[in-house]
Amino acid sequence: MKKKVLLMGASGSGKTSMRSLIFSNNPASMTARLGATIDVEQNHVRFLGDLILNLWDCGGQDAFMDSYLTTQRSTIFQHVGVMIYVFDVETREMNKDLEYYRDCLEGLRQYSPGAAVFLLVHKMDLVRENKPVTFGKKHKELQVASGDADITVFGTSIYDESLYKAWSSIVHTLIPNAAVLSKHLTTFAEVCSASEVILFERTTFLVIATSTSATEDIHKLDGTRYERTSELIKAFKHSCSRVREEFHCLEMELPDFTAVLDEMTRNTYVMVIAHDPSIETGALRLNIRMARRKFEQLQGDGHVL
Amino acid sequence: MCCFISLILYVRSGKTSIQQVLFENLPPKQTFYLETTTRIVKHTYDTVIPLEIWDCPGTITVETLGAPLSQFLTIIFVIDIRDLYNQPISKLVEFIVAAYHENPNVNIEVFVHKAEKLQEDDKIENFRQINERVTDRLLDISPDYEQMPLNFHLTSVYDHTLHEAFSRVLHKLIDSLPFLEDLLNVFCANSQSPKAFLFDIASRLYIATDASPVDSATHNLCCDYLQMLNSFGPLYKSASASSSRHRKLLPPVLSVPSLSDHDQESPGRTTPSAGASNSKQRAKDLFYPSAAALLHPSTPGTTLTYHLIMEHLALLAIMPTPVFESRRGLVEYNVVFFREGVQEIYQVEQEARSGG
Repeated sequence: MKKKVLLMGASGSGKTSMRSLIFSNNPASMTARLGATIDVEQNHVRFLGDLILNLWDCGGQDAFMDSYLTTQRSTIFQHVGVMIYVFDVETREMNKDLEYYRDCLEGLRQYSPGAAVFLLVHKMDLVRENKPVTFGKKHKELQVASGDADITVFGTSIYDESLYKAWSSIVHTLIPNAAVLSKHLTTFAEVCSASEVILFERTTFLVIATSTSATEDIHKLDGTRYERTSELIKAFKHSCSRVREEFHCLEMELPDFTAVLDEMTRNTYVMVIAHDPSIETGALRLNIRMARRKFEQLQGDGHVL
Repeated sequence: MCCFISLILYVRSGKTSIQQVLFENLPPKQTFYLETTTRIVKHTYDTVIPLEIWDCPGTITVETLGAPLSQFLTIIFVIDIRDLYNQPISKLVEFIVAAYHENPNVNIEVFVHKAEKLQEDDKIENFRQINERVTDRLLDISPDYEQMPLNFHLTSVYDHTLHEAFSRVLHKLIDSLPFLEDLLNVFCANSQSPKAFLFDIASRLYIATDASPVDSATHNLCCDYLQMLNSFGPLYKSASASSSRHRKLLPPVLSVPSLSDHDQESPGRTTPSAGASNSKQRAKDLFYPSAAALLHPSTPGTTLTYHLIMEHLALLAIMPTPVFESRRGLVEYNVVFFREGVQEIYQVEQEARSGG
């Protein structure tokens, strides 16, 4: 199953940087070396085994943009599953950006009316004062520019976890059986006496699904924990790759919780968090091993649909 | 007694950045926004030994320091790697001579800092030149200075060189270092571990390591691992369950006498992750966090272990995965043995400090 993802936005807004960070396991400091994207760079990213993200990184220089909107119009905007439009928060040419954005939206309406639209207000790290206010203002502006189109806006930066939050919710819309996965994760959490179970995609470490449980309210866990976890594990994976090792599994017994992060299926990792002090990491690992087959099966089923 | 360390030299050479990145956990990217230090700022930091770090402004002279140089055990000079010209070098030499005259036993360290500003080749060339010029200048003044204990380190806040250099500086101040190293050697030999570090958790400086040479790739990996665990710590903190977890760290001071009576309370008998069901009861009162990361696929695989030793200290060791998986109990036992040793050393030092 192929899903076409358009990555658009003005030149230098950070499209290729975020792509390299999420899909190529490069650290944020490496993005300075990336050059401008010429025309369209197509990438096939295997996500969850059978789901293939056909990522179109569209160079944002005016000449390219004009050509996307005219001669290449049908090629670009056909069969789009998701369009991600990136805005540099500090841009000086917001009006021009918005004009191109509206044109793209029009093209999308014409060729792929069902596509989801995500807007990323990027480079939030450059905003020194009062980020929420700046973001709020941009959000409103984008809402107005989008008219009646259904959009989702995120403030992002490659230097913190916000990028993972945005991309996790983007891929979430592309996964066919997210709700079923979530239900099974909840059952799995109960079996493990765990407070929470999170399922990650293997290469990107984006969150695919989480358990939902009643106990969540009692624990009042940190709201940014999913994307922070993605960020931390990705950073550590990168450290491992520098010494030619590959991260495989992590278990922790820390003062506030016990957790195991291990392979679930060929394409996913699972993290089990327990707050009950009598739960041992060994037991959690055993449970994960036992659950593997069921989840492989679930994943298989999801893609037959 | 406190160990004094002072950071001296030059406007905007990066002294405060060093202090903030190491001890206040400031992300390196944020150091750009730090303001210039205009007066001496004293920071205290407690690890195996209590440290007092004086962050001095770049305009400091021997006279304006406000304390005799002989009080300091270590003086760290921070020089920007691009400052290989006459004036900064002579100022550095002047200060080194003054410090040496006041106190010939002082450890003098030079951090050639902001290494990230230059390309790899230039970096090494500039470092070598600064090193050579300072040494030549000192020998010109007097041939006696050849004996001077002077060390140069190439550092940057953007990688692990700063942590490694500062660790080495710290080692000279730790009196118990040979004993800690011996303990680590014993641990490594008995756990088939090729490398083990005793880290100060918050600053990610290593206090001691075993006798095998430190390869910086391994050191960096351990540093990153510790940083990840530090960040994970508060991430899944539960508002309600923390009280029910009820597993508090034991105060670092041991009640050594009548060990047999106190068997139940002795931390040496408690390894929560050992998995023995009968330890559960005791594990509730006494708990030492631990973690393990399994690395793949280089056969037979490597495991990075983490064990809390004392409130501020953790043991990080690298061992073959088969050893960790199949002989985990023994590894845990060795950790307990190591922990008792370190705690005993710490206790003796505490007594000596309070007695002296």
